[in-house]
Amino acid sequence: MSISGGGGGGGGVGRGMSWCSTTSVSSSGKRIQKEMSEFGADPPEDCSAGPKGDNLYQWIAAIIGPSGSPYEGGIFFLDITFPSDYPFQPPKVMFKTRIYHCNVDLEGNISLDILKDSWRPTLTISKVLVAIQSMFTEPDPYNPAVPNVAHSYLEDRAKHDEIASEWTMRFAR
Amino acid sequence: MDSNSIANASVPAFKESKEFVKKKRGNNRVAKLKQCKMDARREQWLSQAKKKGSKGESNGIGGCVSLSNGICGRENQLVGSREVRSRGDEKEGGLGVHAADSESHVDNSLVGGVSGNQEPRKSRSQSSSSNSSSSSSTSTSSSSWCCSRSASEDEEEEEDGDDDDGCVDDWEAVADALTADDKQHHPNSEPLVEMDPALVDAAPSELVNKEAELGASEMEHCGQVKGRVENNRAWRLDDAFRPQCLPTLSKQYSFPLNSERYCGHGAVTWACNGIISQPSPCPICCEDLDPTDYSFLPCLCGFRLCLFCYKRILEADGRCPGCRKQYDPQNVEMDANGGPPQYRLARSCSMSTRF
Repeated sequence: MSISGGGGGGGGVGRGMSWCSTTSVSSSGKRIQKEMSEFGADPPEDCSAGPKGDNLYQWIAAIIGPSGSPYEGGIFFLDITFPSDYPFQPPKVMFKTRIYHCNVDLEGNISLDILKDSWRPTLTISKVLVAIQSMFTEPDPYNPAVPNVAHSYLEDRAKHDEIASEWTMRFAR
Repeated sequence: MDSNSIANASVPAFKESKEFVKKKRGNNRVAKLKQCKMDARREQWLSQAKKKGSKGESNGIGGCVSLSNGICGRENQLVGSREVRSRGDEKEGGLGVHAADSESHVDNSLVGGVSGNQEPRKSRSQSSSSNSSSSSSTSTSSSSWCCSRSASEDEEEEEDGDDDDGCVDDWEAVADALTADDKQHHPNSEPLVEMDPALVDAAPSELVNKEAELGASEMEHCGQVKGRVENNRAWRLDDAFRPQCLPTLSKQYSFPLNSERYCGHGAVTWACNGIISQPSPCPICCEDLDPTDYSFLPCLCGFRLCLFCYKRILEADGRCPGCRKQYDPQNVEMDANGGPPQYRLARSCSMSTRF
């Protein structure tokens, strides 16, 4: 009896959730579609992004390592996942390419404020990619994802750059 | 109050225009015959439309007639020609003007005798015009006076369509002469006199009576039209169903710069339509902002967003996406600069009628 009641409740919740998600999907879909067309019309320099396949909520992006940084010459791929309530929640951005960077951990998670607390619904994926691009040249060692790398960056910049350049050659080409 | 005096002042001008038409008619007998034919044809389709008999239709027809009497000088001249006919040619004219339901059949047959070889075309035009009259009645709202301009344009087109048997030249010549005459005697006021229901009641001139009879011939009886007119007068200025074209027209009549005013009104409407037809999207969800959203300014920074997204943000952290400050319910403005323009327009319209 208690099991069947739980099952019924679960089913009801499931239906309700699916209904919720479809409505929010349709509203966020319009926004994502608009971002896609805007990105296609005016992409940031050395960036590209677009849906992986038919799914509008799964994008793949690529950033070319800026010249003058230890990441020069590398192409870094990122996975972007839009939540169903997208403009209200930040997109999930992860590095697919390994990178030696104090703000990117081994799994590729990025510690970037605008992808977390500082996210605003007015931000777009284009702005996020530009922020990540600037992160290459200006790491933020005070909000690190990998404290060791941040420490290395602060203490021995040359060694840090050497390792970063080596990783770029190894993984990002 | 001053509309009375203006009506009286305008009546002589119309009488003179009538006489002008008479002279013209005297000169051109053939044209007059054709005129009569056309009028009769018009009666025909009107009566047929009446036979179809729905109330909405008769409303629509009444709307067409009354408005076209008011607005287009072409119709005005039609009135004049009716006048002439009723005097000069007692048989036809009497039928044309006073035709009720039953009499219009007689009128039809009589005209059939006059213009026998044009029967097929006539019937065609009948059917098409009855169609158009019903469609115009659906497009008009509930009253005869508030019909849209498109209705009168429909009718004009209808008559243009009827005119293809050579009457066009004479018809338009008369119209031109009439408008010229009107402008000569009454340069500022376009023939919008009949549009004011108060004027129809107030001015006891022959012309206005003829107008009413004309309306009766299109509708049912004279008394009914009078009742309709009084109905129209019973509209309160703040009545929700009061047609928007009413105030501007009466205003037009009582002030000299009417045509300009009318253009201005049209321009404003057009501008509003432009705003509404090209709405800016909500920057969050990219859905188009509706007028309520336009009037909604939740933050002092001026960041505009739709109410759905606003509610969504309030449910979350409640910070303005534009400036990241916490939303303050005190600062929410519901009627900002970008407020709904069409409501303001309506308000100004209803204000303008209080003279």
